[in-house]
Amino acid sequence: MLSELWSDLRYRLRAFVHRAELERELDAELEFHIAHAAEAYERQGLPAGEARRRARLAFGSVEDIKERSREARGTTFLESVLQDLRYAWRGLRARPAFAVGVALTLALGIGANATMFGIVDRLLFRPPPYLRDPGRVHRVYLSQTYARTEYTERDASVARYLDLARWSHGFSAVAPFGTWRIAVGMGDATRELPVMGASVAYLGLFDARPALGRFFTADEDRLPTGVPVAVLGYAYWQVAFGGSRDVLGRELQIGRTAFTIIGVAPEGFVGLGDDEVPAVYVPFAAFTWNARPEDHTTDYHWQWLELAVRRAPGVSPAAATTDLTAALERSWTAQATWEPNRASVAAAKPRALLGPVRVQRGPLPDAAARVAVWVAGVALIVLLIACANVANLLLARAVTRRREIALRLALGVSRGRLIRQLVTESLLLAALGGLGGLMAAQSGGALIRRLFLPADVAAPVLGDGRTLAMTALATLAAALITGLAPAVHALRSDVARDLGAGGRDTDARASRLRTMLLTLQATLSVVLLIGAGLFVRSFGRVRDLRLGFDVDPVLVVTLNKRGVELSFDQQIALEQRLSDAALALPGVTGATPAATVPYWAYEGRALFVAGIDSVDLLGDFVMQAGNPDYFHVMGTRLVRGRGFDAADRAGAPPVVVVSAGMGRTLWPGRDPIGQCLRIGADTVPCTTVVGIAEDARTQSLSQPRTYTYYIPVSQFRAPTGMLLVRVAGRAEDHVERVRKGLQAQLPGAAYVTAQPFRDMVAPRMRSWQLGATMFVAFGGVALALAGIGLYGVIAYGVAERRREIGIRLALGAQRRQVLALVVRGGLRLIASGVVAGSVIAALLAQRAASLLFKESPLDPLVYVGVAGVLLLVAAVATWLPATAAARVDPSVTLRSD
Amino acid sequence: MDDERLDLPQGTLDLLILKTLSLCPAHGWAISERIRQVSRAALQVPQGSLYPALHRLERRGWIRARWGASDNNRKAKFYELTPSGRTQLAAEAGQWARLTAAVGFVLHMS
Repeated sequence: MLSELWSDLRYRLRAFVHRAELERELDAELEFHIAHAAEAYERQGLPAGEARRRARLAFGSVEDIKERSREARGTTFLESVLQDLRYAWRGLRARPAFAVGVALTLALGIGANATMFGIVDRLLFRPPPYLRDPGRVHRVYLSQTYARTEYTERDASVARYLDLARWSHGFSAVAPFGTWRIAVGMGDATRELPVMGASVAYLGLFDARPALGRFFTADEDRLPTGVPVAVLGYAYWQVAFGGSRDVLGRELQIGRTAFTIIGVAPEGFVGLGDDEVPAVYVPFAAFTWNARPEDHTTDYHWQWLELAVRRAPGVSPAAATTDLTAALERSWTAQATWEPNRASVAAAKPRALLGPVRVQRGPLPDAAARVAVWVAGVALIVLLIACANVANLLLARAVTRRREIALRLALGVSRGRLIRQLVTESLLLAALGGLGGLMAAQSGGALIRRLFLPADVAAPVLGDGRTLAMTALATLAAALITGLAPAVHALRSDVARDLGAGGRDTDARASRLRTMLLTLQATLSVVLLIGAGLFVRSFGRVRDLRLGFDVDPVLVVTLNKRGVELSFDQQIALEQRLSDAALALPGVTGATPAATVPYWAYEGRALFVAGIDSVDLLGDFVMQAGNPDYFHVMGTRLVRGRGFDAADRAGAPPVVVVSAGMGRTLWPGRDPIGQCLRIGADTVPCTTVVGIAEDARTQSLSQPRTYTYYIPVSQFRAPTGMLLVRVAGRAEDHVERVRKGLQAQLPGAAYVTAQPFRDMVAPRMRSWQLGATMFVAFGGVALALAGIGLYGVIAYGVAERRREIGIRLALGAQRRQVLALVVRGGLRLIASGVVAGSVIAALLAQRAASLLFKESPLDPLVYVGVAGVLLLVAAVATWLPATAAARVDPSVTLRSD
Repeated sequence: MDDERLDLPQGTLDLLILKTLSLCPAHGWAISERIRQVSRAALQVPQGSLYPALHRLERRGWIRARWGASDNNRKAKFYELTPSGRTQLAAEAGQWARLTAAVGFVLHMS
């Protein structure tokens, strides 16, 4: 059957390509037949001429046979398509400005969709490369209930993983993995790179063969220590080792251990690929041993790894979830033998969830992924607006071609053929638009992809089958949508009337259709603009938010001991030395050790206040430790009382500064200064509140119940591992100088990293910013398209009404009245679009409310503003052609036809 | 016109062409002549249908065409059966036999 189809297709193609030759052959073949027949007649005794005439007569119409033979060859359809294409191409060549305008309009719409499809597909749908049987692979989420709220998290500890692997039965693999940025290399070549601790089970989820060497064996990945071997990521191998094949066997310093390189991962391998692409893969066991060689397999609180599982064949997701939850409960109970005060299984209700492979589709997506989905919807609307625009243009053109179409119908062209021709024309236009769109997505889309996708994830447009297929689909849809209106118009055209009318009077049906398209465009534009307005206002609120500290002039310095053994006192002294050294650097105006870096690393202790049962239930309390310079370094304002000074030494009476909100919460109606706070246990001596600082948002931009308290680092009595450095100007400009200056102070292989504080805060603002940027960009495109469309259609309508306007003027109407008439008509159209769009936007915005920051989805300012902008555009688009029409002398207009 | 002549039932022309070509390759004229002779002039191939039918069969891959010299040394287009055409002939001939037998049973019932 298939081979028959293939031979059929091959024949048709050959027949199509060589049709001239086949035509000659057919002539020869038929001629041969007739000659034979004539000979037979001659043999019966007829003269040559008569014999030939008889033979022809008996044979029948040669042209008819030829036509039917051609049909039998099955190429007539192809030939007519080719003819339509040629016809359409000639038509477009005749009006290049029109063709380019339409193709560009569609290119914008299609390009936006190709770009956003590539992003959303990679975030949500496409299984990671090399993953075997993705349907049976899940990510594990663990949740527990605390104070009647269920908390779900992706992170687990090694101890928990061992319990789950030991006590679950429904899985063919339980695979731990985790990626950290770790120092790789030695000396000045040391870089912090993403290193993945990948278990053998994790690598087994994939069908990947190393590009070079081998992956780890189970023996090399055996807890507690594992074997220090490493597999390089393909991209890192190319960049750092020039793709050299003799890397095998070389040593690579990772963290505090030298690893031996045994292989290179294949090109395009990114693991489950939701985070940074790892530069190096090491055995999970060796990774944990390298990071924390003491209690790394028994501490349930060392939560950092992620779990992926593969369901065993025949085990349903529901059964697997039940199985894993049972194992988790058992693990919970086992943990209680170490920690007797822990909440019981009944109270905490620990639960395991099997989520999709793609994190962004699971229970904990980041806001950026949700924004991407909304923006993809926006791209679709932009395409619809572009299509409405083009449909309108084509329709207007069909109306002016009414006589031509009527003439061809009268000459016997079938309506089906005519419609095919019109659709061919819009297909050709859409194909040009699709090509333009692909180019736009490839070049301009790179910028947008960088905003949404993790760095290093290659996302080509042209080489990607799924994106190309989707683009082809969008192009086809655009062709059908834009070709439909003119086709319907042609189908219904009345030959006699159109031929008689001489293409002069207006066509009510067509203008009704155009009006509808225009209203649709206005509606969609209003929806987009309102979205843009809401996101912009929300982002403005985020940006203007007072965080309670400065961001731009602050650098975060992290100290990595990397195996250098230091006592507590030595390290505290080192941090003091680093802080002094930083202060001595040019451009640095302040430096302090810090226990907490907002949005990055937190310190906390149990708090006790007389008269309050459980301080923990009142909110999240973040502890900060700093030197007397701290409040200057961070720019946190002291509301009342004092900060720290040199007198707050290790042995002096302990003091604390609390945030204003914390003071109100813990001592309502009383002055917090002078109050007693016990930190760590309810038996320790009082820490006295000496000052009140402004509130700081240290964990989330919107979370209200987060409070901060500050103690002198001298009384913290532990190393903090981090330094905050304030510079004059922007922190980015000082990174290298500060890093080099501090590195000189360090012993052995220890090293420091310096990062602008902005880098830690920016990700929290990212989703708000993304929404605002993308909505504004696409909203702008939509407004431009709608404006152009509006202008085109109204101008066209006015031109059509020139005679009517002329008659009105001739009958004595004032120019002013005529103007008002035309402008009112255009505005009424847009006004209905504004109303419909506002209603749709209000409904949609409710669903996006969680992506807006302190911005009501019904913000009247935005709605009124958008209505104003659109009506203004409409007024301009109507006014210009209307004044032009009113200025014309009626005697000229009336005589023109 | 000859009264003895029969109209070809729908679809049988393909079968007749395939059968004729199964004996030896032939050009269009020879095919129509052979069918006429073998059926003792009872079956006349309608000239208008022969060539479209040949092109259709060629498209389906059941026959293929080659240019060769005819008996009086003129260039002619010869058609021959392909292996898949041979299979098709067997299938169609079987069907035909079953059909005529069944029609015969019905006509002879008493």
